[in-house]
Amino acid sequence: MAASQCLAPRGEVKEMTNPPMLEDISRLLLALAAPAALLCLLLAGIALRREGGTNFSLGGGFSRWMFWTVVFITLPQLLSWFPSFGVPATPPSGGIGIGWMASVAADLTNFVTNFVVNRLAPVLAAFFVLRAVLDVADGSSPLGSVIAAMFLLSIPSTASLLRGWNNSTPNATADVLAALWTYVVSQILPIAAGLAIIAAIWAFWQNRRWMHYIAAAGGFLMVAALWQLIRRMMV
Amino acid sequence: MSFYNGFLHLTNWLGNVIMPTMAGLLFAVAIVRYSKGYPWNYSMWAAVAALCVSGLLRAMETFSSQLAWNDPDLVWNALLNLINWVGNVFLPVYAGSQVVLAAATYVNVGHWMPGSAWLRHLTAAGLCLLASGVLRLAEFFVTNGTSGV
Repeated sequence: MAASQCLAPRGEVKEMTNPPMLEDISRLLLALAAPAALLCLLLAGIALRREGGTNFSLGGGFSRWMFWTVVFITLPQLLSWFPSFGVPATPPSGGIGIGWMASVAADLTNFVTNFVVNRLAPVLAAFFVLRAVLDVADGSSPLGSVIAAMFLLSIPSTASLLRGWNNSTPNATADVLAALWTYVVSQILPIAAGLAIIAAIWAFWQNRRWMHYIAAAGGFLMVAALWQLIRRMMV
Repeated sequence: MSFYNGFLHLTNWLGNVIMPTMAGLLFAVAIVRYSKGYPWNYSMWAAVAALCVSGLLRAMETFSSQLAWNDPDLVWNALLNLINWVGNVFLPVYAGSQVVLAAATYVNVGHWMPGSAWLRHLTAAGLCLLASGVLRLAEFFVTNGTSGV
C-alpha cells in the first residue's frame, strides 16, 4: 500500500509507512489469484457438464466461473482503478517478506497446480467420459460430457490463453472477455457448425426435427455478422 | 492439450471417419426397409448426407462467406446465396428427376414398381448383394460432385 500521511504532535506532516505484515498479506492474496483462476476454470468445466452441449445458460455456473477466472487473471489491472476513486490501492511490489507466508503462497500454488490441475482434473475428465457412455445408455447426447472432459483436460492451456490476452491496461478485464468472445466466435463456433450438420443428418435419419440444426450451423458461421447487424440496427 | 485442438479433432473424427462409416449401415437399413415395403427414403438420403458432411459444411461456409465476416449484410447475403443455389442448381436437377419419373409413370413403371411384391423382393435381393457397390457408387458421386456449390 502507498505510504499514508498523518499529523505529528507538533503539527508537521510525517510520513507513515504501511505495516510490512499488511503488505505481505496483500502480496499473499495477489499471489493466490493465479491458482484461484485455475480453480475457477476447474469449476467452470464441471458447470459446463450441467449446462453444456446445446445449452448455454447465460449467467449460469459456467459463464460465472469463466468471469471470475478472467477477474482473477486481471486482478492487478482491476485494482489500478481504485486510485482514481480516491482509494490508494497500488499493489505492493517485491516478494513476500515473511517466511511462513511465502511458504503458504508457494505451497498453495503447488497444491493447485500439481494436485488439482495436473492430477484431479484429468481424473474428473475420465469420469466425464464414463458419464458420456452412460448418457448414451440413458438415451441422451454424450456431447456435453465429452466437451466438459475436453475442457477439464485443457485447463492449463486455457489459462495461458487467457493470460496471453491480458494487455495490462486498466481495461484488461473487459478486453480479455472481448478476446474470449472473439475466440469463441471465430475459432470454436465454425467447428461447432460441423457438429450441427452431423446432428442434422442424424435427426433426419430418425425422422425427427432437423432444420433447426441447419439453421444453427448457419448461425454459428455468422455470429460476428449478426452482432454487427444488431449494432447497425441500433444506430 | 488445448480445447481448440480437442474440439476440432472430435468434429473431424465424427464428420470424416464415423459418419462415412455409418453411411454403409444407413444404406443397409434403407435396403432392408425397402424390402419390407416401409419408407426407406430417410435412411438412403441420410446415408448420402453422411458421406458428405465436410461438403455440406463447406457449402454452408461458401454461402456465408461471400462478404466480409463483420459485414451486417452477410446474414441476408447468405440467405440469398442459399436461395440462388436452390433455384439455379438444385431445382434444375430435381426437374430432371421429375421428367424421368414422369416418363416412367407414362410407361406404367409406376404401377408395377411399388405394387408388385415379387419385384420389390427381387430388387431388394439384388441391392443386398450390391450393398458395397451402392456405397462405392454414392462415394463416387460425392467425390466427383464437388463443383455443385
